[in-house]
Amino acid sequence: MRNQTAAATGKLQVKQPGSQRHNKFIQSFWSQKFLYLMVLPGFLIVLVFAYFPMYGVLIAFKDYNVAKGIWGSEWVGFKYFHEFINNPMAMRTVKNTLILGIYSLVFGFPAPIVLALLLNEIRVLAFKKFVQTVSYFPHFISTVIIVGMLKEFTSLDGMFNTIAGWFGKEPVNFITEPQYFRTLFVGSGIWQGIGWGTILYLAALSNADPTLYDVASIDGANRWQKMKHISLPAIMPTTIILFILSVGGILGTDFMKVMLMYNPGTYETADVIGTYVYRIGLEGGRFEYSAAVGLMLSVVSFLFVLATNRLSRKFSETSLW
Amino acid sequence: MRYKHSLGSRLFDVFNYGLMLLLIVITVYPLLHVISISLSHADFIALGEVSFFPKGFNMKGYQIIFEKPLLYTSYTNTIMYATVGTLLTLLLTSLMAYPLTVSKFRIKKPITIFLAVTMFFSGGMIPTYLLMKELHLLNTFWVMVLPGCISAYNVIIFRTFFQNIPSELRESAYMDGANDLTVLFRIYLPLSKALLATFALFTIVGHWNEWFSALIYLQDEKRYPLQMFLRSIIFTQQGYGSSEKATELIQNRQINPKNIQMAAIVITMAPILCIYPFVQKHFVKGVMVGSIKG
Repeated sequence: MRNQTAAATGKLQVKQPGSQRHNKFIQSFWSQKFLYLMVLPGFLIVLVFAYFPMYGVLIAFKDYNVAKGIWGSEWVGFKYFHEFINNPMAMRTVKNTLILGIYSLVFGFPAPIVLALLLNEIRVLAFKKFVQTVSYFPHFISTVIIVGMLKEFTSLDGMFNTIAGWFGKEPVNFITEPQYFRTLFVGSGIWQGIGWGTILYLAALSNADPTLYDVASIDGANRWQKMKHISLPAIMPTTIILFILSVGGILGTDFMKVMLMYNPGTYETADVIGTYVYRIGLEGGRFEYSAAVGLMLSVVSFLFVLATNRLSRKFSETSLW
Repeated sequence: MRYKHSLGSRLFDVFNYGLMLLLIVITVYPLLHVISISLSHADFIALGEVSFFPKGFNMKGYQIIFEKPLLYTSYTNTIMYATVGTLLTLLLTSLMAYPLTVSKFRIKKPITIFLAVTMFFSGGMIPTYLLMKELHLLNTFWVMVLPGCISAYNVIIFRTFFQNIPSELRESAYMDGANDLTVLFRIYLPLSKALLATFALFTIVGHWNEWFSALIYLQDEKRYPLQMFLRSIIFTQQGYGSSEKATELIQNRQINPKNIQMAAIVITMAPILCIYPFVQKHFVKGVMVGSIKG
């Protein structure tokens, strides 16, 4: 098989003497030496920076001793995993991570779809373009700036309190109150992502056959019916794929944003697994324990992706792989 | 095709355009507000009277920021990280993606799997930190540039793009005695300028906004990127970083800490805001390229 394709496509192979197998291997290696050379730097970087840490995860099962190295350190089995599961403070982070993920999914996922459908109904193309351009911009603002602005807006003399004042509410420092954390986190996330999130949906909508809309109009369909029966089906495959990705990413909270937003007073609702790993591991120096927590998170996240993909394949034609 | 617009349809239009205008206001207002506050007089800020436009002109916030040496080192650092990081990303990603388009490349499949695995598994924060420590990369220039410079996702996008270039071009270059490196640099990359430009933009913005790896891996302020400088201004107790002059001005009510904070935000955001209108269509193209599954 391989020889056939090689003979059909490559001129280099044609010159090969048909001798022993391993001779051939060396020859093919040599003839592709540039390809190997090109892959090498990327290969090394991925090996070092992506695969070595996977090996380093072993410390989650070890009593890590710097002098003995990762492999030489004592095995302790699932000790840290037990510790995490039995720690009520730690379990709070699991709960917060899940709630934050679910809120982000429930409110953040449909938002760009609605916006895309509404944008699609705008017939003045220049205005549509303008709305798009403006709404994409927040995507490029850094998390530090987003949270900085959020702090300003939620401060005692900030805009949120001015508005609350119109309704006779006492000023609150929103960002230091645990009961507002989730709303602020999800809300600012939507502000930042709603426009950018429409791109793929708008592309799918522009691929919908325009004659469908014309035919529907002739048949007397109104705009709502056209949206429901033409636009929505047009974005369905995109929606499903993005939904799988979102559900898979439900535990992948943007903990860096949380880190900028939270303080010990809001840990109650704000502390998520990522921030916990950072605090205990890097600030507290408990590498093994926090590596174990991190490992659990990535294993469960991976299972989430697998599960949603399987479900989607079962109930629709669309899946990631 | 023209068709009559019913009353319901027109009402919907009114509602829809109104909603879009509201969206624009909600998006633009925070940015305008930040700029206004940075330029307003301290008293108006304290009274909460500043909204769309500055009230009472005041540049002292900018003055304080521009007097901080860390602003200049961090700006330079970010530019260096972005430049070197982007060049490395483009170079290494192209080098790695090209061989994956050569169908008879022997280890094409293993390399693809080797890359794909990293899309689903990672060692996580702690093992990665320990690795950097072990490699003596902590507190160096390279820790900000090397680890992120190649990602499976980018390689796959590049490969997909390269696959659309007719392989006859390559075959005929071989005939003329070219090797694969020459083919990549003389034929493939010149044909992929749009891809390279888009990715350069994304990578530059990524570096511009990066702060977390700096927090973890860098201890020396002199290596801090811009976002860390901004963080040191906004997220500190006093709210303006450490500056005796600022303390004095604030006590005399000549300046509000918010002047300094918002000025820092403006200075950090300005470059992105300025280039955005000109390059935004490339960004959109980038998403489209990325969404085409290989």
